[in-house]
Amino acid sequence: MFSVYRSLLYLYPPAHRHEYGEEMLAAFREVQSEAAKQGMAARNLFWLREVQGLLAGALREHLRTITGSHCPPPIVSRRLSMRSEFRFPKATATLMTIILAAVVMAIEKATAIQNSILPSSPPVGPIQPAHFTFLPTLLLILSLACLVGILGWVILFGLHRSGAQRLADFDPSRERTSGGLRV
Amino acid sequence: MESLPVTEPVLLILLSLIEQPRHGYAILQDVQEMSEGRVTLSTGTLYGALRRLLDDGWIERFEEERNSSRGRQAYRLTPGGRRHLQQKVSRLKQLTRVVSVRVVRKET
Repeated sequence: MFSVYRSLLYLYPPAHRHEYGEEMLAAFREVQSEAAKQGMAARNLFWLREVQGLLAGALREHLRTITGSHCPPPIVSRRLSMRSEFRFPKATATLMTIILAAVVMAIEKATAIQNSILPSSPPVGPIQPAHFTFLPTLLLILSLACLVGILGWVILFGLHRSGAQRLADFDPSRERTSGGLRV
Repeated sequence: MESLPVTEPVLLILLSLIEQPRHGYAILQDVQEMSEGRVTLSTGTLYGALRRLLDDGWIERFEEERNSSRGRQAYRLTPGGRRHLQQKVSRLKQLTRVVSVRVVRKET
């Protein structure tokens, strides 16, 4: 079991393995000896948790190596997740941009196929390169989307309307005396 | 420093280090004890969180003094990390107060 864990550590980037590998092995050895005293179900759960943690951790570290920034842990609980300043929902904006780009590309591709069909000849011919006009359109739409996004962010930032901001300004003692609803 | 999201496991790790420096296994045990068995971290999750906290300057790593040739690595809160943790805890307390006020108002 210990050798399996050691092998799984090779999924991590070498720098992380070099820095924390020995520590992780030492911690795992102690946790494993504790789990060995428990029943079969607890031991299975322990293994599941460790493998899941290693896979998710290795993925995170590789992403961090590629992007240079920490991404949020995908499997840990975020029930008490708090950020101390206003943040634009970048992930949503990115996802929406990708979806928009995919839709535009699909439309352009369909138009290109339609244009490549000659009216006199029924068989579908090859798509002419001249009909690929989606790139300028795509860039234009993406630029517009970015512009709208930035504009929205500036408005929201200017208004300071995030929930965290309002919570930071909230004074429960004042609310109790005035009886007004401010949150 | 400000951008670090404080998830429940991260909060528990920080709370574990507020009393005294601890090494990896001790943190795992303390987190489980503090959460009354509700949160059990894997070693992968723990060291991912510790790395983030180290990179953001909330905690620091040092070598524990031991009789053996190589000491064990332990972690402790930095002054900045302690300050940020206290701010987070204050906000949680404030949130709890809001909840209490609202619940009392609803019941009366």
